[in-house]
Amino acid sequence: MSAFTRILLIAFLIACIGILSIYSSTFQVENARWHSLYLRQLLWVLLGLVFFILAANFNYRRLWDITYFLYFLALFLLVLVFALGIIRLGAQRWLKLAWFNFQPSEIVKLIVIIFLARYFSSKSDYDLSLDVHKYGLARSFILPFSYVAIPVWLIMDQPDLGSATIILFIFLGMVYLSGAKLRYIFSFLLSGLLLLPVFWHFLRDYQRDRLLVFLNPNVDPLGAGYTVIQSKIAIGSGGLFGKGWLGGTQSQLHFLPESHTDFIFATFSEEWGFCGVAVLFVLYYLLIREGMLAAESKDDSFARLLASGISMMFCIQVLINIAMNMGFAPVVGLPLPLMSYGGSSMIVTFISLGILANIARQR
Amino acid sequence: MRIKIFRWLIALVFIFLMLGLADLQLRQSKKLRQLSNKNCLRLIPQEGCRGKILDRNGEIIVDNYLSYDAMVLADSPLKASQALLELARILNEDPDKLKRAFREGFIAPFMPVAVAKNIDIRQAIALEELKGGMGNVFIQPHPLRKYPYARMTSHLIGYVNEIDHWRLTKLADYGYKTKDIMGFGGVEEKYDYFLRQEEGALSVEVDHRGRLVRVIGFKPSKDGKELSLTVDIKAQKIAEDALGQKSGCVILMDPNNGEIIALSSHPDFNPSDFVKKRSLDSFSDLFSRKDSPLTDRAITGMYPPGSVFKLVVASAALETKKVDLDTGFFCSGSVNVGKRKFACWSKHGQQDLMEAIKHSCNVFFYRTGLALGPDLISEYALRFSFGKTTGIDLPYEESGLVPSPIWRKVTRFKNWYDGDTANFAIGQGDLLVTPLQVTRMMAVFANQGYLVKPYILRSVSGKDISGYQKKISRIPLKENTVQYIRKALKETVSSPGGTAHILSDPQIPVSVAGKTGTAQVSGSLAHGWFAGFFPFDNPRYVICVFLENGGSGYWACGVAKEIIENMSLKGLI
Repeated sequence: MSAFTRILLIAFLIACIGILSIYSSTFQVENARWHSLYLRQLLWVLLGLVFFILAANFNYRRLWDITYFLYFLALFLLVLVFALGIIRLGAQRWLKLAWFNFQPSEIVKLIVIIFLARYFSSKSDYDLSLDVHKYGLARSFILPFSYVAIPVWLIMDQPDLGSATIILFIFLGMVYLSGAKLRYIFSFLLSGLLLLPVFWHFLRDYQRDRLLVFLNPNVDPLGAGYTVIQSKIAIGSGGLFGKGWLGGTQSQLHFLPESHTDFIFATFSEEWGFCGVAVLFVLYYLLIREGMLAAESKDDSFARLLASGISMMFCIQVLINIAMNMGFAPVVGLPLPLMSYGGSSMIVTFISLGILANIARQR
Repeated sequence: MRIKIFRWLIALVFIFLMLGLADLQLRQSKKLRQLSNKNCLRLIPQEGCRGKILDRNGEIIVDNYLSYDAMVLADSPLKASQALLELARILNEDPDKLKRAFREGFIAPFMPVAVAKNIDIRQAIALEELKGGMGNVFIQPHPLRKYPYARMTSHLIGYVNEIDHWRLTKLADYGYKTKDIMGFGGVEEKYDYFLRQEEGALSVEVDHRGRLVRVIGFKPSKDGKELSLTVDIKAQKIAEDALGQKSGCVILMDPNNGEIIALSSHPDFNPSDFVKKRSLDSFSDLFSRKDSPLTDRAITGMYPPGSVFKLVVASAALETKKVDLDTGFFCSGSVNVGKRKFACWSKHGQQDLMEAIKHSCNVFFYRTGLALGPDLISEYALRFSFGKTTGIDLPYEESGLVPSPIWRKVTRFKNWYDGDTANFAIGQGDLLVTPLQVTRMMAVFANQGYLVKPYILRSVSGKDISGYQKKISRIPLKENTVQYIRKALKETVSSPGGTAHILSDPQIPVSVAGKTGTAQVSGSLAHGWFAGFFPFDNPRYVICVFLENGGSGYWACGVAKEIIENMSLKGLI
């Protein structure tokens, strides 16, 4: 079985599990619009598959050529959100396109990876090997950070703390994988830690609440802590074998908010239990491993960085989302890739996986 | 190289999350499952009927009727407030009052709130017809206590009310909950265990707003058990009418087995006042009034027995041979005991025991008492079971008090003098009895020597339990003694000089035997007593009439006469 088929199969399986969970979480709602939510998700998955096949047949080396175009496209989209974006749940994150709302921060994550992959794999004229490790602080850290900081700042202001944090994580991971000196990364982390009290002042009230609630969900059990408490109850009450599909009370009776988007993992664990989640973990791990293997098998440094960056992005989102569902990470607006309801995330994830498949296929 | 480290790192985080998952889903799953159920499961109680109470002939004494509550669904506050305005218009009520009732009664969105309780049937029908499109308003029928005989059975039956804190702490282990309706006083309290309905419940699943999603389980409620009493409601009515507005009590008992035929106590109360909470003002003073209408004088009231107690002294004297049938004392109207002069109520001249009982001569009994001494009188009083509860199946029975020199020394730190013995011998002083104890004493002479335990419950849901209830024991007295006093009691009524002679009347077709009593109360009118039985040869009823501050035994005799007359008119004898 080729890497292409394996990636496609696993991703499709996870997406199907997602559709089952969305169907279940909107099962008891009187509103007809909600009942058809799983059909819309099915549409996104099918559309995602189309994008996957397109991306898998698009030579990744041509991404090198259009990197700057993509970077400016990303900035343009983010600025456009400020000008024309629609406001939902107190945040301005979406662009209204024809018949759906598109969230540019999703695609920005991928573009940042492509951009950094290209930046760190640029070679000197004399030597074909990578020499990032020889670079000084300015070239290996400060310059790429400045490039990344612009979209991160725009996203932070939407506000979308989740996506911004993910991009920062991606940046750190890419710097690490590119072979830059470790002391730069550590000193960055350290200064970040020291500046934390300063950042605190720039956070919105609800973001502060969420961070405080993460430290102790019981400070505000009906407000910000409610979601975490209900999510933990949902996951834990599933037990070993779960309550059965369509049997979850936490998600179906709406004790768990966002049960079909950010907290779909809790919905799934409530109904399928420990055994079901173990299978899901294996699927996610296999998919991430597939990306890492593709990266390791390559000599082309652009391909290596791109593949490992994509699987890292995927992995970070999965892990943070699950940790957030279990109460191990603060609640930030962050979907579970391939499972949460939402078109933007689904399509961008499938495109990224398509690029992975393309990298694995090129010899 | 770094990619490898990275892969390890990811695997590590996966394992960490897996451990966290195991902690939640395996270790804490039981606790969290409970929390999840608590989130979405609700119990809606279903009410049943409290058991009916019947008299010995199957006549209904306490019944239930359906009351109607106007209920408003609470799931949408906006719709509810519209409905309240409309409801106020139809029921002709103050909208603010309904709104307050709604706010106070609100428990959860899935629980309808009773905004107007006990509306009458006409209003209920009007509401059903006029409510039109208001889907969130409905009428809930709801069983309540009904008392066809109202005040007549008040002390016998008691009343029902919401459980109070004191009872709740005692009864919580038996499944009683706050806001439960339970019996207070009388049969309602004593047999609450049988009478109370078993609450059923509807278990429903609700969503995060508390709206009903589906019904999961249903346990129907069980009605309480039906009780049949030994009471004859016709006799009860006669007793009530004869007592009228006088303060006191009347007890009718079957001397052969201890069945209470009628038990009436006054001042009384109307138990329906407790059912309709709307008339709150009418019963709030029941608890504070000086004449304590909630006290059942027949079993809770303790009074000096007066001359009625002479029967005990006479029995003691005969048994211990301190006095025989020929012994005579001369009554000159008074006698000196120590330095004090003890008076009789008349001048009786030479008296033997038979005459002394007949005329209720105090002088004779002063002397007899002094001959016996206080310890023997005490002992015989205890043989007649004074100073102990009779064991009747009604709550709050008092035991009374039988004094003795030792008792006085121990509790009052005072000595016993001959004057105390003289007082004791005519049923005065520290001696206290309940009318029910006097009734039981009289039953001994009626049934020729047996102590019976009075009881009131005859059967539970048609199953006769009188076999368990009946307790009869031979009193330790000689046959002759009982027969002699029986004869004296007959003479008291039949001979022209007897204190209860008004009871031998052509209106009364049966021969009655009995003894009057007048118990002095310092600073107030004397208590009047009459205790007797009839028909003499084959007694079916023991009667005890007690008039609190009623003047004298003569008036008690009058009440007894009216009762016996009416009973024979109604064919009850």
